Amino acid sequence: MSTSKHDRTHHAKKATGIGDPQCFKGEAGKAKFKVGDRVRVKDLSDVFYSRTQTYPRGAVGTVTVLVYESPAPEDEAWDNTDKSEWFYSVKFRQKDLWPDYPDLYANDTLETELSERWLEKA
Amino acid sequence: MSDKHEPAPMVNEVSDFEVLEMAVRELAIEKGLFSAEDHRRWTEYVHTLGPLPAARLVAKAWLDPAYKKLAVTDGVKASLQVGVDWINSPPTGFGTPSDYCALRVLEDTPKLKHVVVCTLCSCYPRPILGQSPEWYRTPNYRRRLVRWPRQVLAEFGLQLDPDVEIRVADSNQKTRYIVLPVRPAGTEGWTEDQLTAIVTRDCLIGVAVPKPGVTANAKRPVRPAVHPVHHSH
Amino acid sequence: MSSPTRDRVLRHIDVVGQMQPALHKQTHAPAPDQIDHTLFRAYTRMPHDVGGEPDVPITWEEKEEEQWELNTFATCECLAWRGVWNAEERRRRQNVDLGQTQYLGLPYYGRWLLTAARIMVDKQYVTLTELVNKIDEVKKRHEHK
Repeated sequence: MSTSKHDRTHHAKKATGIGDPQCFKGEAGKAKFKVGDRVRVKDLSDVFYSRTQTYPRGAVGTVTVLVYESPAPEDEAWDNTDKSEWFYSVKFRQKDLWPDYPDLYANDTLETELSERWLEKA
Repeated sequence: MSDKHEPAPMVNEVSDFEVLEMAVRELAIEKGLFSAEDHRRWTEYVHTLGPLPAARLVAKAWLDPAYKKLAVTDGVKASLQVGVDWINSPPTGFGTPSDYCALRVLEDTPKLKHVVVCTLCSCYPRPILGQSPEWYRTPNYRRRLVRWPRQVLAEFGLQLDPDVEIRVADSNQKTRYIVLPVRPAGTEGWTEDQLTAIVTRDCLIGVAVPKPGVTANAKRPVRPAVHPVHHSH
Repeated sequence: MSSPTRDRVLRHIDVVGQMQPALHKQTHAPAPDQIDHTLFRAYTRMPHDVGGEPDVPITWEEKEEEQWELNTFATCECLAWRGVWNAEERRRRQNVDLGQTQYLGLPYYGRWLLTAARIMVDKQYVTLTELVNKIDEVKKRHEHK
């Protein structure tokens, strides 16, 4: 039999009947941003892992929804789930993301989610 | 070098992947990491999944403005009415490990068209839509949709007026998306069943729009499997 | 002396000899002062971070699922169900840790599979010796008589 010392029960204990990310509700505290805020994506180091894509970094978008609280993927990917933060859906104009995006399609947008650590007030 | 290395055909052999897959599963079971019954149950659960519940959610939303409002504000709650309990339906009792419990329904309007991608991997709302198509998983789709959406959509046969806002949703975290397309003309007086039939998987991803008379995804080449899944159901 | 094993071994050395990182030029572990910010970012990139990279139009295809692919998917979800890992650990290992070459070189579910094997060894549920022996055992079971 295996000699591993890892606790395999903690997520099931926390989330059964509740769901994920529902099980982290209330753990992030006060949200820093609200719907309608203009936010800039920081270009933090993504050494070893992130779920923040390179392409929106440095760009400014608008918060559309405060979606949920959850451990950041950078932590969850090593099963460090003690801390949670707010996750935001942020909408960008495509013309603000891509220098070659045609003026003809200036209405086009892109929406993606970023955790609070990746955002600053624009 | 003129040598073009083509992988040797594996038709009657067991592939390296198949060998490793058996090794991993057998060891996991031997070590008590999960049981053979767990694995069978999960396989059965996957076989229950497909795009029909999501299609029905759209049809219901088209027929009932109050349900549409619920779908757009609380996708998980709205899913219950089409038989999908994101939390309790999967064998875990806490949602599927990879798909979570955070469905967002993206409502199209005549001036707003949504289309979904996961640039980082290929996250997909399996509990309500089934398994993702091969093209959705390709680096190609993931590279291009976020930056050249109109070109990619044109390749799928969808061209929209320049003044329509195309909004790409990149599902990079725990939220999973389905698109609620605009109800097409020519469906007046239709039943929920009739409406459900024209909401295809491609419409729910956002690379197609529903049309009266069109009840299947556009025809594409299908790469055959060497040892395809046995469908015992 | 030739044998299937020797042929296989020599073929492998020949293939990996042609597998070298290249920025349209070969590189063999440069000195630190040859790596500027741009190159550092490029070499430490996350392979899964592909949004916005140029690519060409391709034929969009569907694919019939292999039995081993469905089995692999169920194995990975069962490992998470029973707490061996969570999906984010899996993604990190499968879509970044595997490295750039395997990321684009292997099939989609090939990465899921290798990653499932790896987690069992990394978390000491299985020794690598046990995994290698099991692979050997499975191969022997399927050898043509």
